[in-house]
Amino acid sequence: MKMEKENISLSQLLTLLINFLLGSAIVVGVGGSAKNDAWLAILLGGLIGIVIITLNHFFILRFPDKNMFQVFEFCIGRKITIVFTFMYIVYFLYISCRVIRDFGELMATAILPNTPIEMMSLTFCLLMGYIMYLGIEVLARTSEIFTPYLFGFLLLLAIFLFASGSVEFEQVQPILGEGIMPVIKTAFTELVFFPFGEIIAFSVVYTSLTNKKYSLRVSILGVGLATFLLCGSSLLMIVSLGVDSVSRSNFPLLSTARVVSIGNFIERIDAFVVFIIMLGVFIKGSMFFYAGLKGLEYIFNLPYRYFAFPVSMIISLFSILVSVDFADHIQEGIKLVPYYLHFPFQVVFPFILFLLVMWKQWKGKSKGEEHGSKKTNSQIIKETNKT
Amino acid sequence: MAQRKPIRRLLKKPIKLEDKLKNTDKLSGQIQEQEKESVEFSFNELHSQVANAFGNSADLKFIEGKRDERNIIIVFLESMVDATSLKETTSKFLSSISQKLQPLNNVDELSSFCKEVFGGASYKIVNGSDETINAIINGSIVIFVECIDKALAINMMNGEKRSVAEPTSQTVIRGPKDSFIESISTNVSLIRRRIRNKNLHFEQYTIGEDTQTSVYLGFIKGIANEAIVQEVRNRLKKIKVSAIFESGNIEELIADKTFTLFPLALNTERPDSVAANLIEGKMVILIDGTPFALIVPAVFVNFFESPEDYYQSFFLGSFLRMIRYLSFMIALLTPSLYVGVLTYHHELLPTTLLLSVIAQREGIPFPAVVEVLVMELTFEILREAGVRMPRVVGQMVSIVGALVIGQAAAEAGIISNIMIIIVSITAIANFVSPIYSFATASRLLRFLLILFAAILGLYGVLIVLVAMVAHLSSLRSFGVPYLAPIAPFIIEDQKDVFVRFPFWTMKKRPKYLRAESEKKVFTSSPPSPPPMKGGNTS
Repeated sequence: MKMEKENISLSQLLTLLINFLLGSAIVVGVGGSAKNDAWLAILLGGLIGIVIITLNHFFILRFPDKNMFQVFEFCIGRKITIVFTFMYIVYFLYISCRVIRDFGELMATAILPNTPIEMMSLTFCLLMGYIMYLGIEVLARTSEIFTPYLFGFLLLLAIFLFASGSVEFEQVQPILGEGIMPVIKTAFTELVFFPFGEIIAFSVVYTSLTNKKYSLRVSILGVGLATFLLCGSSLLMIVSLGVDSVSRSNFPLLSTARVVSIGNFIERIDAFVVFIIMLGVFIKGSMFFYAGLKGLEYIFNLPYRYFAFPVSMIISLFSILVSVDFADHIQEGIKLVPYYLHFPFQVVFPFILFLLVMWKQWKGKSKGEEHGSKKTNSQIIKETNKT
Repeated sequence: MAQRKPIRRLLKKPIKLEDKLKNTDKLSGQIQEQEKESVEFSFNELHSQVANAFGNSADLKFIEGKRDERNIIIVFLESMVDATSLKETTSKFLSSISQKLQPLNNVDELSSFCKEVFGGASYKIVNGSDETINAIINGSIVIFVECIDKALAINMMNGEKRSVAEPTSQTVIRGPKDSFIESISTNVSLIRRRIRNKNLHFEQYTIGEDTQTSVYLGFIKGIANEAIVQEVRNRLKKIKVSAIFESGNIEELIADKTFTLFPLALNTERPDSVAANLIEGKMVILIDGTPFALIVPAVFVNFFESPEDYYQSFFLGSFLRMIRYLSFMIALLTPSLYVGVLTYHHELLPTTLLLSVIAQREGIPFPAVVEVLVMELTFEILREAGVRMPRVVGQMVSIVGALVIGQAAAEAGIISNIMIIIVSITAIANFVSPIYSFATASRLLRFLLILFAAILGLYGVLIVLVAMVAHLSSLRSFGVPYLAPIAPFIIEDQKDVFVRFPFWTMKKRPKYLRAESEKKVFTSSPPSPPPMKGGNTS
């Protein structure tokens, strides 16, 4: 089977990471349970995010040409890996469905109230399917083109908010009014899984990176920038709406945009904000979609493009079926998904993989010593990479 | 996945010498076969044989004469041959009052005679019927001498051609005013006069089984990337069609992808623009019989560049370029934004503006989308009529178009005034594009956008836009990513994308073309005034 090599540059990786992390996090708002210290919680979460991406590089640097599934195979053989891979595919595609649902609900409530949500989901998934059919390279370039606009619009939103005089900095006070515990709790129970833990989806992307030398640095920069933007937008929401409104609003950024009013001319710019959000959601949904497709590629040994359109339709269907209504959807997202899905797939399995890799290396080393040849770990890995 | 990116693979694969040898073997084999097939003309039956081959064409002429006891027959197509030079040549051959009659006993003597008489004018010895007929078709006169089995072909293609005039489709205010014409040799000379460099190569291809059109591939060796040149060569060689009349034919046959609205090769009738692109490291394809040359590889940003950007101050050049990007967006988006905002997102408009728009639309019987589609289609019909109609009735169309459809329709309350503004601004913005063929993209995509805006509002517009950008980033022109240098982002090339930097800052050729030599400008300092009096004296 001939798998073609796709190339992603460092700047593309950077924009993908930023869009991915902003994605649905900026739609539903994160760190809400830390009240007006949400921005501090996000900063802390960002630090954890940097740790996560650094830990991920344990695999990326050791196996530059293997994605997560292939590393599994390297450790425990293909048969068991297929089971793991299948679980991961379901996980990735399910999260993709959730991301689409988030966005669909946003569109259906705020922008196109008379259009059924199925229509939104269908068109969005068709678009994702088309782009994935064109390949990850195209997704990366698309994200590269749209990212400057994303930055521009966010900056413009901030300027408009300041200009319309709806910003009151007293709203952030008291800082750490209830002690540091809520912040730490929010960071370690919510933010670590959503959005930062979801970086696990990128473990299939790094194989396409052209310049692997700086991948760690760029990834840290990406997570840092995304944290900065999330933190900024969270601060912006708090200072312009107040904590109560933010926690009551389903889509806080949208409510914030509604506050803008300059000279009776620039007002109700929430439709524009939705389009900023759409780009982030689009990248995020597509990344999970791609991760799932890569899993399918691994299992069936067929180029992932073949699955793009059919699977996109599956995502479209299940984004509607996953929950009855928006309340149900959010409840699932808070109560169930982090503990039953995020925790095992983001923490437990990668940790198992880590142990397996260490065991394999240790085994290879001792074997090498038995045979009297002096092989270092890296040499062994290089050899296995070749085969 | 063989259908994706075949070029890239070809580019990466080094061209093996063995392959080349094999190819040449094949070629020579073909030639040998042809020679076997071709019939030798025998002198005595020459007349009937050639006449048969041409089916007794009316313009096929024979001149028979005698020289030095030998019979001579001159065959040519009257329609292709220049009358005056024909007269001269025949007189030289057949005149009996020539001072010294050279013997013409064999081919060597024939050719030495030619060298003497024509002083190296383009003549060649032809052999066999195919070659002979080919020479006659291409405007040569062929001279047969009794007892010599080879013939002499002298090119006398007649010079009936338009003189070099001002370009009609790509005009400039400041800059050279000449443009290509239908004759390929004139076009080549227009380029060569601008680039006097021995490394400027033109390779000839004959394409079209029936038309035998000559096609030149021009590039500067040592600047143009060898792999891309080879790729263009391969694609030209692969073409097997019956006829080529225009650069558009070639463009569709060699483009990386046909099912796209965006042109993957630049067409121009300006020799200065061709010369500038050759210097950048691109290639030019000239086709005999058309004033339009193709420049490959072309990327998205090239279609927003006019040669005038470089002739005027860089401030103005940059400004005009940004105006072009803006008008591309206007031409693409205005009607669909109108539909989207008016149908789904009233709240985006400021209240006063919304009131005035609604007041205007009060008596209009159609929804916004119907109104827009009707007007856009009307405009497209007017435009097509304007291009095709005989010049005599030109006045009619503009009167009917402007008065009846514009003013009267609005007064009758069928369409709103704001709609007329939108259609006009769209139309004018569409004409800003310096390369006419590029405007087709925004012209056609507009309708898709209107449709999606009518169904899904601004969300639909954005969906189409994202799909368009994705499509653009999947395109390649001869292996060069179409959206380079924006995506993949190349920071060094940004000096000549949205703005044009001053000349002395553009030291290097565009990186996305992977030119063989990078440096373009050798002085790197800005121009500065001479030292003041009392300062350093020379």
